[in-house]
Amino acid sequence: MKKIFYSIALSVLVAAGSSCKKVDNYAAPDVTLKGVVSDAVTGKSIQTEQGSGTRIKLLEISWSSNPTPFYISSYQDGTYNNTKLFAGKNVISAEGPFVPMVQVDNNGKTIVDKSQTVDVKDVTTVNFSVEPFLRIDFVGDPVVNADGTITTSFKITRGTSDPNFQQDISDIAVFINSNKYVGNNNYDNRYTPKLSGSDASTSVGKTLSVTTIGGPLPGKRQYFVRVGARVSYGLNYYNYTDVKTVTVP
Amino acid sequence: MKKYTYIIFAVLLCWTSACKKLDTLPPSIVKDDDVFSNSAGIQAYMARMYAELPIEDFRYSPTRGLNFFWIISPFSCISGEGLSRDQNSATQETFGYWGDAYTLIRDANYFAETLPKYSSNFTPAQVSAWLGEARFLRAATYFALVKRYGGVPIVDKVLQYPAQSIDELKIPRSSEEKVYDFISTDLDYAYANLGESNQVGRANKYVAAGFKSRAMLYAGSIAKYNSINLTDASGNRLCGIPAAKAVTYFKAAYDAAALLDGKYSLYKKAWAAGDKNAQYQNYVNLFFDATSPENVFVRQYHYPESVHGYDAYNVPRQLMGANGYSSEINPTLNFVEMFDGIPKNADGTIKTTTGGKYDLYTNTMDLFANAEPRLRATVILPGDVFKGVSIEIRRGIYTGSSTGGISPLLPAGSTAHYPTDHMVQSSNASQTPYTLPNGTTMNPAGLSGYFTGDGTCSVSGFSIRKNLVPDKPTSEVLENRSDQTWLEMRYAEVLLNRAEAAVELNALGQNDKSYLQDAFTAINQIRERAGANLLLSPTDLSDINVVRTERKKELGFENKTWWDLRRWRVIDKEQNSTIYRTLMPFYSANDGKYFFDARLDERNSRYTFDVRWYYEQIPQGEIQKSQNLIQNPGY
Repeated sequence: MKKIFYSIALSVLVAAGSSCKKVDNYAAPDVTLKGVVSDAVTGKSIQTEQGSGTRIKLLEISWSSNPTPFYISSYQDGTYNNTKLFAGKNVISAEGPFVPMVQVDNNGKTIVDKSQTVDVKDVTTVNFSVEPFLRIDFVGDPVVNADGTITTSFKITRGTSDPNFQQDISDIAVFINSNKYVGNNNYDNRYTPKLSGSDASTSVGKTLSVTTIGGPLPGKRQYFVRVGARVSYGLNYYNYTDVKTVTVP
Repeated sequence: MKKYTYIIFAVLLCWTSACKKLDTLPPSIVKDDDVFSNSAGIQAYMARMYAELPIEDFRYSPTRGLNFFWIISPFSCISGEGLSRDQNSATQETFGYWGDAYTLIRDANYFAETLPKYSSNFTPAQVSAWLGEARFLRAATYFALVKRYGGVPIVDKVLQYPAQSIDELKIPRSSEEKVYDFISTDLDYAYANLGESNQVGRANKYVAAGFKSRAMLYAGSIAKYNSINLTDASGNRLCGIPAAKAVTYFKAAYDAAALLDGKYSLYKKAWAAGDKNAQYQNYVNLFFDATSPENVFVRQYHYPESVHGYDAYNVPRQLMGANGYSSEINPTLNFVEMFDGIPKNADGTIKTTTGGKYDLYTNTMDLFANAEPRLRATVILPGDVFKGVSIEIRRGIYTGSSTGGISPLLPAGSTAHYPTDHMVQSSNASQTPYTLPNGTTMNPAGLSGYFTGDGTCSVSGFSIRKNLVPDKPTSEVLENRSDQTWLEMRYAEVLLNRAEAAVELNALGQNDKSYLQDAFTAINQIRERAGANLLLSPTDLSDINVVRTERKKELGFENKTWWDLRRWRVIDKEQNSTIYRTLMPFYSANDGKYFFDARLDERNSRYTFDVRWYYEQIPQGEIQKSQNLIQNPGY
């Protein structure tokens, strides 16, 4: 009797011990996907903001024809980099302040599809060249005035000739912040001047000079200046200039 | 031996005959027969559906959900109406209202499909009224979905599983337009079938019409103001409505609102022309009079079985109950400045200085001596009386010299803390009294704040009054102890729907009726009851913002404004790294008088509305269950 009992107990132990062998031995994700979204005409990267700016859309079609999309947010300078992906076949496109790479007409038919199908493995670079809604360029450097304000000159031009994406400009702002992450998601509204209405919609092609609001900026520090503008299309993404640093004495 | 044979035979006989009824339902389960054979069963079924109805009432918060008891991040504190210590930035809803909606829709569909089988138990009038009521509930639920997500899957019958395959049940989203049309059809059916009256808290035909005016107004606004587009592969526009439909929807809203004409009226029982106090008292009473002719659709509560905690969370600090909660909702100065009867600068902001020096007042209420009665009934102003005591709100005591007047303590637009020289303030409610020059003592801060150290006080200089029971003893100011009725739809809203639709129709060039004149009449009815300045002529309504501002004032703190700002597509402009304004009363020790400082919120709470939030994110779990659901843009 005792023998039977012991042998049962032993076999249970052996079974319990051996059945738990299944460790997760699948290799950790180690594939890198990186690149830049740049302007098809000027070749410069498309400046954006983090959070509601450019993002890269990955559709992993190795397993399913209707996968759940995976997104990578880009940096504010338009580059992106993800070093923890699994290898696989992906349909990759970008969304952001530029003419959509995938367009659907009113009947649901895909009329434009510029997404790229890529075997993502090791270190893969995928770049996109797109037409931004707007091109914004500084005209000279921002100037610190005698009264402690900053005046910024810039020029806005259309980035695309497609009339479907040439809506009126709804907002223009010269974003001011105390660190280099500056944009509509992150700015100091005490000093940031904004234009809207007809001031904004008639500004295409003109050189504008805009001065900070709210009186003199506190001195002995640096400010980060970036001009943004947007048209009323879709999620109303902003197009931006790059960031300029201004030192107020 | 024969005996055994008989016994066995008898046992077998008993056995087989006794156990015939094996296929019976357990008696503990409520069957269709129990529910649908008598009107008490129907009432119980209805009660459950109404309890689940998605209305944003005392038990709702955008981050916690519907039917939730602990409401300390109030909805009105993400729309710019109020500020709260527990809600310091913009947000969208985070709880993902989806599964509960489809459960309720299934309940309504099941009811509508099952009741006809039992119709012999009731009169035809009863049956058709109940069928109309089920449609009303379904429409109200679809409206809650469409205002959040845009187009959603339309389920108009009970889905069967496993009779239907999983693939069949993965119903894709319909277009936003189709969902609004579906709601419209359901509400038309409800209007045609429901009776003139019903139990309190249940829909009658005019409730259906009122909801239709609300839903169609939303649809018209989307058609006119939305610029977001999401179209699926079959051409259904899931987000957005063609602009050409705006007129149709605004007309539907206008016509539906007109159906309530003469059936309901604004509450004016205690109102008297020219008597600001009576008008104030009337506006306070309107939220507590069960016989008010203004109540179109309400949700009732009753202690102890169905309760909320609105009083406990929102009373001013000095009337705090034993749970230790108070003053969660504090109206912003931006809200207060919309009203009439307060001194204003040319740009519409409150006037607290003359020639660069603060104006001085003997009492804090002197600034509001001529305030619009509706403002006093909505907001507790500093020094106003609530539950028989004066609500004391004071930021601190200014001890500096007052010769030649007091200059502003901070430059305009500053978010800095106040300078501490010549200033006595309190960090919390245990205060050290300060001895004034005349020898008397005074606490640095008021009994209801402002305290610099903790947020358990009026953080904006105001406290909420609307919906707070004016005579509730402090011993009963507890969580889960309040049971005042939630007014989900007042006739005032119906009038505002009508006026807004009329002004929009006028702007769209419609002139088959004198729309502007009609809006003018409606707005002035509301203004007269409120004790506000009347519009002089219909041309005053040429700017749509007049109607919108009236709506924000009348429906403030009733959990409607955020949705309104969202459907007008203006909230991303209003909340764009925005800091809301507050009004801080100070006592000047040397003058023995008060002065007010209007400033940006000292706590520096910034609000930014993300454009993506115009369409909420469909819960990821739901997309995993039904891969035909297309996610909204940007998520």
